[in-house]
Amino acid sequence: MAASRIPGRRLSVFLCLLQLACSCCGALLGGADTHRRKLSAELNPGWNSSDPPPPPGVALLHVRALGDNDTLHFLFCSQGAPTLLLVHTNTTNSTVKVDWPGFLARNTTGSLQVEPQSSVLYSSALLFSRLWEYDDVNDTADPQALPPSSFLPPLELQNFSWTGLDAAAPTAQLCASPGLANSSLCLQFSVFESEGRDPMWPRLLHNDNSSQLRVWLDKLTPRANHSRFSLELQAVGGAYPLDRVEVLRSIDDEYTPSIFKVSQWVASPANSSEVLGFVQWKPVAYRQADAVLEVATPCRHSTPGPVGGAAAASGLVRAFYGPEPPARGLNISFGMAGAPLYNTTRFLSWTLLVGVGSPPVDSFSLLVLVIMAVGLGTPMILLLVGGVCVLTRKRAGPQGLGYEPIN
Amino acid sequence: MADVEERQGLLDDEDDVSFSGRRSATGPGRPMWAICDPSHLLHRIVVLMFMCFLGFGSYFCYDNPASLQTQVIQDMKLNTADFMQLYAWYSWPNVILCFLGGFLIDRVFGIRFGTIFFSLFVCVGQIIFALGAFVNRFWLMEVGRFVFGIGGESLAVAQNTYAVNWFKGKELNLVFGLQLSMARLGSTVNMNIMGWVYNQVASLVGSSGYITLGASLMIAGLTCLFSLICALVLAFLDKRAEKILNKEQGRTGEVIKLTDVKDFPFPLWLIFIICVGYYVAIFPFIGLGQVFFIEKFNFSPAEARAINSIVYIISAPASPVLGFMVDKTGKNVIWVICAVVTTLAAHMMLAFTFWNPWIAMSLLGVSYSLLACALWPMVAFVVPEHQLGTAYGFMQSIQNLGLALIAMAAGAILDSRGYLFLEVFFSACVCIALIAVVMLYFVDYLRGGDLNLSAAARAKLQKENTSDSENKRRTNKLTEGELARLKPMSAFGLRNRYLSRLGAQLPDHCSTHLSSLAHRSVLK
Repeated sequence: MAASRIPGRRLSVFLCLLQLACSCCGALLGGADTHRRKLSAELNPGWNSSDPPPPPGVALLHVRALGDNDTLHFLFCSQGAPTLLLVHTNTTNSTVKVDWPGFLARNTTGSLQVEPQSSVLYSSALLFSRLWEYDDVNDTADPQALPPSSFLPPLELQNFSWTGLDAAAPTAQLCASPGLANSSLCLQFSVFESEGRDPMWPRLLHNDNSSQLRVWLDKLTPRANHSRFSLELQAVGGAYPLDRVEVLRSIDDEYTPSIFKVSQWVASPANSSEVLGFVQWKPVAYRQADAVLEVATPCRHSTPGPVGGAAAASGLVRAFYGPEPPARGLNISFGMAGAPLYNTTRFLSWTLLVGVGSPPVDSFSLLVLVIMAVGLGTPMILLLVGGVCVLTRKRAGPQGLGYEPIN
Repeated sequence: MADVEERQGLLDDEDDVSFSGRRSATGPGRPMWAICDPSHLLHRIVVLMFMCFLGFGSYFCYDNPASLQTQVIQDMKLNTADFMQLYAWYSWPNVILCFLGGFLIDRVFGIRFGTIFFSLFVCVGQIIFALGAFVNRFWLMEVGRFVFGIGGESLAVAQNTYAVNWFKGKELNLVFGLQLSMARLGSTVNMNIMGWVYNQVASLVGSSGYITLGASLMIAGLTCLFSLICALVLAFLDKRAEKILNKEQGRTGEVIKLTDVKDFPFPLWLIFIICVGYYVAIFPFIGLGQVFFIEKFNFSPAEARAINSIVYIISAPASPVLGFMVDKTGKNVIWVICAVVTTLAAHMMLAFTFWNPWIAMSLLGVSYSLLACALWPMVAFVVPEHQLGTAYGFMQSIQNLGLALIAMAAGAILDSRGYLFLEVFFSACVCIALIAVVMLYFVDYLRGGDLNLSAAARAKLQKENTSDSENKRRTNKLTEGELARLKPMSAFGLRNRYLSRLGAQLPDHCSTHLSSLAHRSVLK
């Protein structure tokens, strides 16, 4: 077995080298996307550091992504259900102001504000509200078709005590223990300076207008014999909330092998195709921490519909949007009929992008283009050269009739 | 000539001839039923049935991994690279056995024992394969595929040798055709039935898992057992016929001389490149096809299995038609270019579009049949007759080498880069074949070769050559070789040619090189 893997590894080393060469060429020829943002992170903005720290379970991470003439504020908070608030402003000097007593009391609208308020172009909050567990006895993996009796009481994410958030890097992690001590439900939040891809599958293409969230559920003891899970997401928006989910087909599965679809939940003004903000994901989850093809499991989403209780669940939503903001929710269910149950590996991870503007679109890698160009070009050139050779020979031909036998 | 007629009397359907033969063999007063009489057509039809089913098991089980791809990967907890090892291990023994199969049958075992021996290998290989799944040991499955591979290709040689031995005469084409159809039937049935078998076993056992997989593969192994029984029955019938009719045991007559390799002309090497570049983009693709159609085109598993077998289904009726067409028109190189370009288009369609894959797969099926008809006979145009066995053996050997390597590479590519890249990789392989065939066209043109002559021109040239061959023989030592190049046109043509030789001039054991056309790669 060990020996059998070696050729694959060698091959991938070779491919990597080839790609390196190609990307060097690409950088020389076309030049990479130069659009960049300057990132700065701050934990609990406005909290007086001389005061005692905020109560356990409350942490607010603010990442400021400064562009040439706009600013993106990413606010990630663990008060209540984990929530990501994204605010896009059209100035480079907008700031986040937090009224901490009101924010902690979770009863004051406007206890978190982005100033100046007139500069806000778009805002949207995404909260992870519940983790559903259902007993999939008939192996349909379709929670919508199941009777309510197969559902176990959901895990309310707002009741967990979330820990681990810090401002050390552009990547922050928030974890809670939903079951026994060694079980964990974590969210990893990343913001990016420029376009690129996470090295870890599904390797979503991100740009400087988006942030990435990776959710994983590890070592949770299932409460039923055929447990499958689904995750409830809620979105709260200002004038233009996230409303419809588009599923695009893509022939390019180079970065996420065997996945030919990308789903995006977009916010756009009525009667317009312009996209203001998005949540984008590929319909795949991985059943092991080391994400590879054989542990990929498909996932699907329900149609988004209006839900209530977003402000009650999340301190951040209450503080920014008020007590009763309209919210829409959808469920992502993991697994498909016939796919292995959660119990087989006791691990699930799923990744999504949250951003403003149009969602990034995958394109062919340079390596693919080079291979096709060389593969198709060489026979063409050969045909051309050969054709010219034959023609010249034919033209020169009539004088001599070729070789005669000597004797 | 009288000798010939006596020899052919054995094949004649007319009762009076066989009657006298029967009399002399069994003695007066004990007439046999027609069905028991080795010289009677009815008996030979019975033999033919056994002959056809002789290869059924090996063809059925060869593509077992492809038909149960998701189940094998899931139950054995494999990645695709490991999965493709099952195909690689099948090919490895044949890198060498392509040279040895004929020799083993002729010199070591004899046709009867050789057939039983190879069937036994197929059967035992499949049982080890299933056992490996049953006890959840993947290395044991790989061992099983290796043993299966030792038997599989050589069994095809044995099958054809039997066919020649029993049916030399006018029925042989039909017999080869039937065997070919049987081979395709085996592959197709396997593709479409194994998923159902697995589900049935799963509902019996109560859950899916490696036990279910092992049991399903064991059931598939029944076809191999059936083939083994056919081999035993054939051995008995052949022995009996030998006693009654005093005929000789069949031989492949394959002559392999490895030193010939250094004399291979440049165009032959180009043909080798075409062969490897082309076939590695077909068989590993079919091995991985099922999940591809499920993932990319949202096919149901049953649909995916059906479309994955369409290449085999199409080539059954297309092969004879296209073979006839290539025979009548000549211009082999152009046909090969057409086949390669069509295949390239099909692969690119699968890679870069969401068009209905039935279109691409049908194109693949047609072009695959066309290539088999146009490419394999070309070998006979570029090497002299006495080197044909070596050339075909070598071609199949490097084809198997290529298949083994590319199967492993394809699995690794899929695991790390996905289907688009895999399809691009296969397209690149076909592009290499295309480069080689374009070069072959020009090389042949500049050398004034006869690979790309039309059938009419070929016939004319042959006529001229024969008329003044005496004259030429003095001036040119290579004339005999050149003459040989002009004759054959297709795989069936070749078979026919050797056949006429068999009937007319040569003793049985000189049926040269026939078996070299009989490997799986050609049959498929």
